Amino acid sequence: MPTVTIDNQVYEFENGDVLLQFCSDIGIEVPHFCYHPAMSAPANCRQCLVKIGTPARNRATGEPEMNEDGTPVINFMPKLQPSCAIAITDGMVVHTQRSDDIVEEGQVDNLELLLINHPLDCPICDQAGQCPLQNQAYKFGPEGSRFEFQKVHKPKRIQLGPHVVLDAERCINCTRCTRFTSEITETHQLSIHNRGDKNYPITAPGVEFDDPYSMNVCDLCPVGALTEDYFRFRARVWEMSKTPGISTYGSKGINVDYWVKDNEVLRITPRQNLDVNEYWMPDAARLIYTTFNEDRPAGPEMLFRDGGRGPADWRQAYDAAAFLLKGVEGSETFLLGSALATVEDNYLLMQLAEHLGAPAPQYLSHVEPGSGDDWLITDDRAPNAQGCERLGMQELDADLLKSRLASGELKVLYILQDDPVGMGVLSEADLDGVQVILHHTHTTNETLPFANVALPIAMAVETIGTYVNADGRAQRLRPAKATRHMHRPQMMEMGLSRLDRQGTPFDRWHDESNKIDCQPGWAAIPEIAERLGRKMRWDGPASIMDELAQTDAFAGATHKAMGFTGVPLEDVGEAV
Amino acid sequence: MEVPKINDGTSKAGDWRNYKRVLLPPVRDLHKLEVYEQNGGYSALRAVLNENKFDPKGLGEHVKQSGLRGRGGAAFNTGLKWSFMPPVDPDVPRFLCCNGDESEPGTFKDRQLFEYNPHLVIEGMVLANYAISAKACYIYIRGEYASWIDHFQKAVDEAYAKGYIGENILGSGFSTDIVVHKGAGAYICGEETSLMESLEGKRGYPRVKPPFPAQKGIWARPTTINNVETLACVPLIVNKGADWFAATGAEKHPGPVLYGISGHVNKPGVYEFPTGMLITDLIDEVCGGMRGGKKLKALVPGGSSTPVLTAEQCIGTTMDADSLREAGSMLGTAGMLVMDEDTNMVSFLRRITHFYHHESCGQCTPCREGTGWLEKLVTRIDEGEGNFRDLDLLLDLCDQIEGRTICALADAAAWPVRWTIRRFRPEFEAKCKPSTFAGADLGDGASTEPAPVS
Repeated sequence: MPTVTIDNQVYEFENGDVLLQFCSDIGIEVPHFCYHPAMSAPANCRQCLVKIGTPARNRATGEPEMNEDGTPVINFMPKLQPSCAIAITDGMVVHTQRSDDIVEEGQVDNLELLLINHPLDCPICDQAGQCPLQNQAYKFGPEGSRFEFQKVHKPKRIQLGPHVVLDAERCINCTRCTRFTSEITETHQLSIHNRGDKNYPITAPGVEFDDPYSMNVCDLCPVGALTEDYFRFRARVWEMSKTPGISTYGSKGINVDYWVKDNEVLRITPRQNLDVNEYWMPDAARLIYTTFNEDRPAGPEMLFRDGGRGPADWRQAYDAAAFLLKGVEGSETFLLGSALATVEDNYLLMQLAEHLGAPAPQYLSHVEPGSGDDWLITDDRAPNAQGCERLGMQELDADLLKSRLASGELKVLYILQDDPVGMGVLSEADLDGVQVILHHTHTTNETLPFANVALPIAMAVETIGTYVNADGRAQRLRPAKATRHMHRPQMMEMGLSRLDRQGTPFDRWHDESNKIDCQPGWAAIPEIAERLGRKMRWDGPASIMDELAQTDAFAGATHKAMGFTGVPLEDVGEAV
Repeated sequence: MEVPKINDGTSKAGDWRNYKRVLLPPVRDLHKLEVYEQNGGYSALRAVLNENKFDPKGLGEHVKQSGLRGRGGAAFNTGLKWSFMPPVDPDVPRFLCCNGDESEPGTFKDRQLFEYNPHLVIEGMVLANYAISAKACYIYIRGEYASWIDHFQKAVDEAYAKGYIGENILGSGFSTDIVVHKGAGAYICGEETSLMESLEGKRGYPRVKPPFPAQKGIWARPTTINNVETLACVPLIVNKGADWFAATGAEKHPGPVLYGISGHVNKPGVYEFPTGMLITDLIDEVCGGMRGGKKLKALVPGGSSTPVLTAEQCIGTTMDADSLREAGSMLGTAGMLVMDEDTNMVSFLRRITHFYHHESCGQCTPCREGTGWLEKLVTRIDEGEGNFRDLDLLLDLCDQIEGRTICALADAAAWPVRWTIRRFRPEFEAKCKPSTFAGADLGDGASTEPAPVS
């Protein structure tokens, strides 16, 4: 293995390693702004300067030259070099700011220059708290500034496109955003305008920054120059807690972070997973944050014996559901699974169907052909169709269901977290005379008016569970916000998955105000099953997956193994 | 042992008073192809292509022997530069690039070649293409030279029509093209790699080196880039021989050179002489002395980025790379700015810093932010609002900017500041506000009492 000496310590490296990335990987922090591992390195911020030397070689013989004590002679380059643009070579000697005063001063000098025209409006800047410029200025920057002039003024509050707002004065011209549109999405919508200290990124005149991935530039921006329109001034980053999760947008299984304050999801950002979405996510997957907060049900509802509809308590609702199921033959019952629900919930639904002697549950496909791209936006709008398939669930045969409903063959319809009426699969006429038990997530669910019993179910940000993406990768959901009824596994997971364990001092997560009165499927289905004489003995979703992980379709996909990046599942034709 | 001084006060230009001009010979209508041909034009090309005077490698070797050094500022050996091109691979096109973006304040020599002797440049380009086996030569001319671009394009069209460029040149089987490209008014596009970016239709940002142009130049193909005047020397070397060239002017930096002299002299203009001319000869004899009989105060020898010389430093110094290095400056493009005793050096520096602030491309932090800061500080001093500490801050900033960027523009911005302050500091101090601190040096060697608090 070739070796490199960094700050007097020898490391092994692989040919082709870039110095800055290598330093980051081994835990040496070299400050930088423009470098991003997914894009080309323009070496323009000049912050990652280090001192570099290579072993001297005799010009005539090509032999390495040695000092008297047998150590190789090192030729240091006269100028400091940007570590982001340096491929490591064998025997290279590197001095970072940790061991070399000149490098340290060079980095201080550079930060002083970076800050002279930066507005330093951190107190009103959305980036404050998660700002590489702020962090690195505190860590590596000068004590103060010697700049005594008016700063350069540039346009502010420019609406670049529907989702991105530019504050050009904050920009440090790292060109990450322009490289993103030219190298990653290849829409070439952003470019640097003007020259020298007057330059800033912007679209060409008359061009709107409507790239479907536009908000990634807000994550890339190392300052507060590019911000998400929907999130501007909503919350300071330190007021929110951040929970790793999986996006419910499409079947790609995009890894995200859910940012929550007062039990409201305020923001969704991509989480790095090189096997799934790398560093990116589409704008649409961010904008669904409102679905976790708005139009959520206020608790279970049911049709009372006097024909009136109204709120019920959970025990009443479970009793009513069990009563409905008990009153008919298994063959007169149909259970509809859901590509929106987790593997665990669907598995329990199948167990329930088995117990009732009902036909195998099927799931409703959310595929909208042609609506996806070749990248992170998929035709399938639901996150877990693959999980249903792997459980052996088949796609719903809507015509068959309709005819069975029409013939009066089916008396009870049990719907898990879906909206067949809203999707146009079933109509009001179809449901005439049929008893409906519905697990719904929103009051806008159009099947809700026909439900005899409506049991609000927890969404992806509230429950624990597993989604399997279109590529067969099992990934884990963690509760990002509290619901009114917290079960022990949720409490445990909240404690484990919220880095601050208990929300932040600015976060009233324990207040009732925004807590949704809903139950996770893995809590509600066993309650009903129990009333029907079937004990479902699981210690929560993790133990369900422990059991499923023994099968071929989910081999190895325990919650522990899935961790933060998921488990790729073996391709099995038909499952379980 | 005493090191012999390079600048011993003797001219290295030999019998320059009887020098016969070769780059810009005194021939009427030389820009016309038939006139150029009547005066021996394209004979070097014929000698190489038809009479097999040189094979490509031999031509490069010959140019190397002549000692021709680049006329664009860095004064690098041209033949050696050509030899950096990788071995010919028939599948990989190679290019020559001719840098005609001369935008440095004080430099206006290439314009004369475009106007009066364009075919010499074209012949040089074709020869260089032959030497490095290039498929085409792109000549990048600054956009402000609009009429010279048209003029040069006409010459290229004529040469195409006559078969000096294009397919199967002079029946030799060698084919090459020349493309004239118009710049859009950015100084930075004279930097070789940003010139290439600009040629490719991108924003004129210098590239990170390595890879160097010889490995990855235009469209990531091996590319050599030379200045207009450098290429114009090539036919002369072929015609008159490397020995003639090497014997002209200063030994280590030979050949004819175009001196672009501007400023406070009686007859400013572009003058062709051998290298190694005494600065005093150029001012006093060639340019007819200082305007109004005033005294020389300062001189910028090679375009605005080269360090300014004081009048004392000019005495005995000749115009070649080694001599000027000893004097404390560089030859650059040999665009000389002559300043007389009435010149205000602070205002001079203010204008220079304004230029570099205006022309910084904004890619690298130190240059983008630093050039603006330099200008603001120098402007403040020039307006009488500066402090003594500003001078030290300026020098400090030069350290912060110099050598920390991708290209040399930051260096070019820092050098004039550093050397003008170092060499004319009393003048700067005189413009600063008097210090109110006890013990402050006011430049008179004495200290003052603190000013009374009012």
